[in-house]
Amino acid sequence: MSLLQNINLWGDDIPYLSGLREKSLISFEKNGLPNPKTEAWRYSYFREEDLQNPQIDNEPVKCDGHCHNGDELPFDALQIKYCNGKLHINDWNAPKGVTIKSLIEAIYDGDIKSYLNKSFNADDFPFAALNGVYLEQGLFILIERGTVLEEPLYIKYHNHADKNRLCNIRNVIVAENRAKATIIEHFCAEERALYTQNTVNEIFVGSNAKLQHYVWQNEAKNAHHIALNSVQVKEGGNYAAFYANGVCGFSRHESYIRLLQEGAGAEVNGVYKLSEANQVCDISTNIRHLAPHTYSNQLVKGVAKTKAKGVFQGQIHIAPDAQQAEGHQLHRALLLDDNAEIDCKPELEVFADDVKCSHGASSGDLDREQIFYMQARGIGEDEARNILVDAYLNEVFALNENQDISEWIKAQF
Amino acid sequence: MSDFLLQIKNLHAGITDDKKEIIKGLSLDIKAGEVHAIMGPNGAGKSTLSYVLTGKSDYEVTAGDIIFNGKNLLELSPSERASEGLFLSMQYPVAIPGVTTNVFLKHAINAQRKYKGLPELDAAEFLKLIRGAAKEFDVSSEMLKREINVGFSGGEKKRLEILQLSLLQPSLAILDEADSGLDIDALRTVAEGVNKWHNQNNSLLIITHHLDLLNYIRPDFVHIYADGHIVKSGSMELAEDLEANGYRNYLEE
Amino acid sequence: MAEKPQIADYGGDKYKYGFVTDIKSDTAPCGLNEDIIRLISAKKNEPQWLLERRLKAYRHWLTMSEPHWAKLKYDEIDFQALRYYSAPVQKVKPKSLEEVDKNLLDTYNKLGIPLKEQEALAGVVAVDAVFDSVSVATTYRAKLAEQGIIFCSISEAVQNHPDLVQKYLGSVVPYTDNFYACLNSAVFTDGSFVYIPKGVKSPLELSTYFRINAKNTGQFERTLIVAEDDSYVSYLEGCTAPQRDENQLHAAIVEIVVMNNAEVKYSTVQNWYPGDKDGKGGVYNFVTKRAACRGNNAKISWTQVETGSAVTWKYPSCVLQGDNSVGEFYSVAITNNKQQADTGTKMIHIGKNTRSKIISKGISAGFSNQTYRGLVDVAPNADKARNYSQCDSLLIGSTCGSHTVPYIRNRNKSAVLEHEATTSKISEEQLFYCMQRGLNAEEAVGLIVNGFCKEVMQKLPMEFAIEAAKLINISLEGSVG
Repeated sequence: MSLLQNINLWGDDIPYLSGLREKSLISFEKNGLPNPKTEAWRYSYFREEDLQNPQIDNEPVKCDGHCHNGDELPFDALQIKYCNGKLHINDWNAPKGVTIKSLIEAIYDGDIKSYLNKSFNADDFPFAALNGVYLEQGLFILIERGTVLEEPLYIKYHNHADKNRLCNIRNVIVAENRAKATIIEHFCAEERALYTQNTVNEIFVGSNAKLQHYVWQNEAKNAHHIALNSVQVKEGGNYAAFYANGVCGFSRHESYIRLLQEGAGAEVNGVYKLSEANQVCDISTNIRHLAPHTYSNQLVKGVAKTKAKGVFQGQIHIAPDAQQAEGHQLHRALLLDDNAEIDCKPELEVFADDVKCSHGASSGDLDREQIFYMQARGIGEDEARNILVDAYLNEVFALNENQDISEWIKAQF
Repeated sequence: MSDFLLQIKNLHAGITDDKKEIIKGLSLDIKAGEVHAIMGPNGAGKSTLSYVLTGKSDYEVTAGDIIFNGKNLLELSPSERASEGLFLSMQYPVAIPGVTTNVFLKHAINAQRKYKGLPELDAAEFLKLIRGAAKEFDVSSEMLKREINVGFSGGEKKRLEILQLSLLQPSLAILDEADSGLDIDALRTVAEGVNKWHNQNNSLLIITHHLDLLNYIRPDFVHIYADGHIVKSGSMELAEDLEANGYRNYLEE
Repeated sequence: MAEKPQIADYGGDKYKYGFVTDIKSDTAPCGLNEDIIRLISAKKNEPQWLLERRLKAYRHWLTMSEPHWAKLKYDEIDFQALRYYSAPVQKVKPKSLEEVDKNLLDTYNKLGIPLKEQEALAGVVAVDAVFDSVSVATTYRAKLAEQGIIFCSISEAVQNHPDLVQKYLGSVVPYTDNFYACLNSAVFTDGSFVYIPKGVKSPLELSTYFRINAKNTGQFERTLIVAEDDSYVSYLEGCTAPQRDENQLHAAIVEIVVMNNAEVKYSTVQNWYPGDKDGKGGVYNFVTKRAACRGNNAKISWTQVETGSAVTWKYPSCVLQGDNSVGEFYSVAITNNKQQADTGTKMIHIGKNTRSKIISKGISAGFSNQTYRGLVDVAPNADKARNYSQCDSLLIGSTCGSHTVPYIRNRNKSAVLEHEATTSKISEEQLFYCMQRGLNAEEAVGLIVNGFCKEVMQKLPMEFAIEAAKLINISLEGSVG
């Protein structure tokens, strides 16, 4: 398998780290990459050859400043950068109560041990297993108990066009009890760049903590983007995620969320607009209600404007003891092209009887009556369509708690 | 056997899984043929009394006795209590989607007949019975075909409760805020229905917080209920005094 | 004290169809090989082409493995321990009901579908009874024949209408379709055949009762219905099986071909023995049912009430090829104790303006597990295809599970697809209201559940609906107490 390359990585001399890599390797060698029979990947059929033999490089970060383009954010934020899959080590000037360090540093210090690789089983996530084989690049962010982070943490991932790389990144984000923080992930690249981004975020939300997570995935057209957000939420905690999918040729954005204790909740919303030929966008969620009074809401809306494929697979699982859990899920899609395809699998798995669960899915075209009404008022058909599409997607943007970030993404979307 | 239809002796009760006591030492005796009214301010737990009497599982009796028709009511299930002749007209009758009123009534009537050892009614007998009653209580045949309480107006729901009262022929009917959500005409229809049913052999317990319904169904006894028990009993004059001067005098006692 | 709904012990001993009929069977030895298939074919005096098809299917089956994607857990089936042919021994082939073995007729009487009584019912229903795997008697054949309708066992059809059988058999469900269908294609013993000629509306509802009787028998029946242009037929299927400790396998195929402007209604009430309260025994029900709307404006409607079987694996499907064709699926599935069901439908939209509707009501109680699994697939050319799906689940008690797994694939921009699903429980308020009016907890649950299923029950023909409503109550007995 060409994705397994024999290279030296930092920290091979640390038994703890090499042990984790070894464990991931065993899982990856056992399960391999997803194939057409892998249920979780049934719609976004992945072909290894499409990656065009990406290289895993172990060179230190070399940055010519490309990644600084477009850094002017319309809101204050603490900025962290990855360049070609390598973390820019910096003095991040973290505010009081916040720890930001590189994964390797955190491994040396040992304070990441109770979190790293603890939130998922690699056998269920083939790319996360691959990610674990090359565990090296990544961040450890810890927001201490009761700390409220006023400014969002902005993490930028930028890729150059010089070389086809496989970038494995692992971030561990911990919001301790009653902590509050906002994380933004921004994936971007030079237009012609070819690479595979394979990130895994392990997110731990403590009791009554609140974490907002915004992802603006605007990878290059030729890129592959594969991301797993593995999240645990404790008593009364809340994880709120928003995902916007840009022009990336193949993307899979997966959320695996476990609501561990009473009153834990999650919101997972997303938008996608497919305008590049043969684009594939897969949004998959698995929200596991493992305790009573847990709640979750999902709203994902998409528009396919060309021969492209939009996929939504959402699972809500309610465990036997999770009485009075509430889980709602809705996926809506517009097909604006004859060759577009929407695949949807909204799944409910309920083992408790006193629950409220619903899911809905719909797909169709824009309402002709509405277009005609606008035309009759003098608006051209294309413009009318654009207005309707924007209005359609706005419903999701409007749910975002931080409207500054939401507007910033919408402006580029 | 005593000549009391219902005897409540020093009743203490509250919500199951909740330590708070709502009814705190309530006693009440009702004989056949009598009409009793329990009046009390909103939120005093009057509905709790009706649920405890009919055996709703959310409520728990912690002390006291309830004797109904010579039987220990607390040992009976809700359906047994109903079949023994206890009827509760609910403040908010529950909707059951998919089950038409006709079907529901037939099941209820036959369940109670079975309990009493009577033969079940067949479709023809049932239809005859229900058509007669429906006409009497201003319930249209269209309403009987609709799903029970689904999309019914307040007046329709209450008319249907009274229709059931007349069909099931209980010996004690509890009317829990039977006038809520009714305009004056609907109130009159309900009251007329109740009066038609009421006779020497059956009794009424009206739970209400104002006088309106009592002007149409005259109670023999009025009890003021506050803080979990009856603070004063009297005649209709007591109710009129309440309407004129409010509960304050009684609450402070 | 107050009746609080809770799970109570409930034995499968209430299965009222759990008797065994004592009649001699003409059975093949256990196991499966080419000789057994040749034996089956020879016993049935089949033409060469059919034997060859069976052998081809068998050889293909050997290359397949049992599917495990469904949310079902059961002990591996030993296909070599099963008997693939079991026919009641009768001295002479019966020419009329009077000649049918009396024991057999008694069996049907116990089932509540006495053939004789059908006659008395002034010709409401025509019944083809399948006992184990061989069709025993076909009633009303003469009356139907007047209109050119063929209603007979598939074995007879092979003898008397070989052209029709050869043309349509396997044309909707090819032997390569899936593991169980492939097995059935190799070993099927009997089933029903219906042919409605052009322009004919069947004056009777056609009915088949399946019953598994002999021990260790797999029942592999095969039903083929062909509705020519402008025709109509309503077909009813009822299933029961005796109570046995070991599991019985049922792997059937139903194929339906619907031509221009024709309509087929297919109703099933399935109450195979579900096993006892500990999950011992019961029928494994692996069925492939599919209808092809070949013609324009064709319509197929599946209605099913499934209360039986230990394990159910069943997805009646509609392939909507003709323009404006319509597919419907109305289903009530009830599982109690340790029953498992993975069931649903497939709506394949190929023609233009095709419409489909899915109404699925699942009720789980006891320790049972139930999955709705459905597919709505709109092909690129299926302009203006429409689908509406509604999947509601009701849970009774907290030891059961309910799962909803819809697969939705849309490749046409003018298609409009809607899917809604809810999971809920019977509210305490509803139960109390019923109980306050004198119903006991079980009656109250039965009433509420029948209300929950009403949309589907209304689609059943009258006499079936009454039986189905009773079945629902029986199968939920003991779920609250």
